[in-house]
Amino acid sequence: MLYRLDLYRRLIGVQMRSQLQYRTAFLLDTLTTASQVVTAFLTLALILQRFDNVGGWKLPEVAFLYGMVEMAFGSMDMLFSGFDPDNFSLQVQRGLLDQLMLRPVDITLQVLGSEFIVRRIGRIAQGAAVFALGLALLPIQWTPLKLVYLPVVFASLVCFFGGLFIIGATITFWTVESIEAVNIFTYGGTEMMAYPMSIYPDWMRRFFTYIVPAIFLNYYPALYILGKPDPLGLPAFAPFLAPVAGFSVLLVAALFWQFGLRHYQSTGT
Amino acid sequence: MRLYLELIRLSFQRTLTYRAATLAGLVTNLFFGLLRAAVMVALYNARPAGSSPDVAGISLQGAITFTGISQAVIAFLSLFSWFEVMNEIRSGDIGAELLRPFSFFGFWMARDAGRALSSLLLRGFTMVAAYALLFRITYPTGAVQWAALGIALALAWAVGFAWRFLVNLSAFWSTEARGIARFAFALALFLSGFVMPLRFFPAWFVALCNLTPFPAMVNTVIEVYLGVLQGPALAQALLVQAMWFVILAGLAHLAMRAGMRRLVIQGG
Repeated sequence: MLYRLDLYRRLIGVQMRSQLQYRTAFLLDTLTTASQVVTAFLTLALILQRFDNVGGWKLPEVAFLYGMVEMAFGSMDMLFSGFDPDNFSLQVQRGLLDQLMLRPVDITLQVLGSEFIVRRIGRIAQGAAVFALGLALLPIQWTPLKLVYLPVVFASLVCFFGGLFIIGATITFWTVESIEAVNIFTYGGTEMMAYPMSIYPDWMRRFFTYIVPAIFLNYYPALYILGKPDPLGLPAFAPFLAPVAGFSVLLVAALFWQFGLRHYQSTGT
Repeated sequence: MRLYLELIRLSFQRTLTYRAATLAGLVTNLFFGLLRAAVMVALYNARPAGSSPDVAGISLQGAITFTGISQAVIAFLSLFSWFEVMNEIRSGDIGAELLRPFSFFGFWMARDAGRALSSLLLRGFTMVAAYALLFRITYPTGAVQWAALGIALALAWAVGFAWRFLVNLSAFWSTEARGIARFAFALALFLSGFVMPLRFFPAWFVALCNLTPFPAMVNTVIEVYLGVLQGPALAQALLVQAMWFVILAGLAHLAMRAGMRRLVIQGG
């Protein structure tokens, strides 16, 4: 275990050193990803001068949702970028995965260590800024349980999105090309979870409750922490399902990944 | 002219070939459209009871239509990314292109026209059709508005192309051109009225946007489609689009001339 950790640290270390070599590129990319988060939030803030709220949620409350999901997705995108289906499919196409498989080290560890995008720090920082702004403006009644639960929610979100990345990567074993539908869940999911989920049409919300449990990861925990009533009438324990939902998605993804590895046949190039 | 028509035709066919990619892109665009429409409904419904049905002259139906139209023009205007000229400069392929006996700008504009046309057919019209099935959307009324929409779309593409081309030329000066371009695209998206109709924003912000060419790329098309621009205001909006095209195309030509002087092609 210690050996694997050390190996992972080394793999990541190489990545970081090489990416920080190109300072201008690094700064520019960080600035760009960050500016996307800021402009999106600024747009909402300006629009809400005219409309007041979205589905009963005021700007600081939406900032809570938006900041949380952006921070979590950014962190996931940094940690799990080796599994990013768009990049991973290229590895499968070029047969680079075969190369990794020949090495006497766990393949999952190698894929995980094969990419670590440092510039995502920009997205994480901006997400954190938006989140902090939300917290500062909201009169939250903090309890010890809420304080403990907040980082759990964050970790669950990271696991959830990480699981989606792994599932998307595994699918490319068979399809070779990256599947656009996966982007609907990852990038579409972040967009969707940035708003109160009560605003979406019933069929969509049911899908993202019972098939892909996205609703329990950000919306319900936020209802609990902000002390808002549940308009959807789910049981009272619904806000506490975030870790269950997040870790089970990651678990399913890990099992699917193992299954995929056993059936991987290479592209033959 | 024949040459340019032929270029348009070829690039039109090339884009038509990637059907699976087109379908996948369409599904993603539609999903995001549904999310954006839901946000619109929530925004409109959140206003106190008894407030007027329209916001800044746009009804809820119009606002939902806005999300559909803006999603429909993403591929047509290549709103998120376009690095083709930049890649050519970086790889040195531009050397061969420049030897050809026609304008480099015109060559790319013709190619992009073909790409844009097929994207409009495959991803634009289909997107609006999907919206028509899912929502009650609005349509332009009368020959004048339809004609104006056609002109606005063509000019929006022309302005957008000149802007994308200009941004791509930064590769003459910097190896970080991709990063510069990403930043430029993000900025354009923010100020173009793609995310929300510009009318919804505070006046100072709209004034700021109007100092840039970006509203001419998206917002004008939307306002013409929704019919909020009529008569002289409509003509003026189209003229502003044309003006931005002339300015950006002029800048692109200047930048190209300056860039050529710096260009060194390695043999090989």
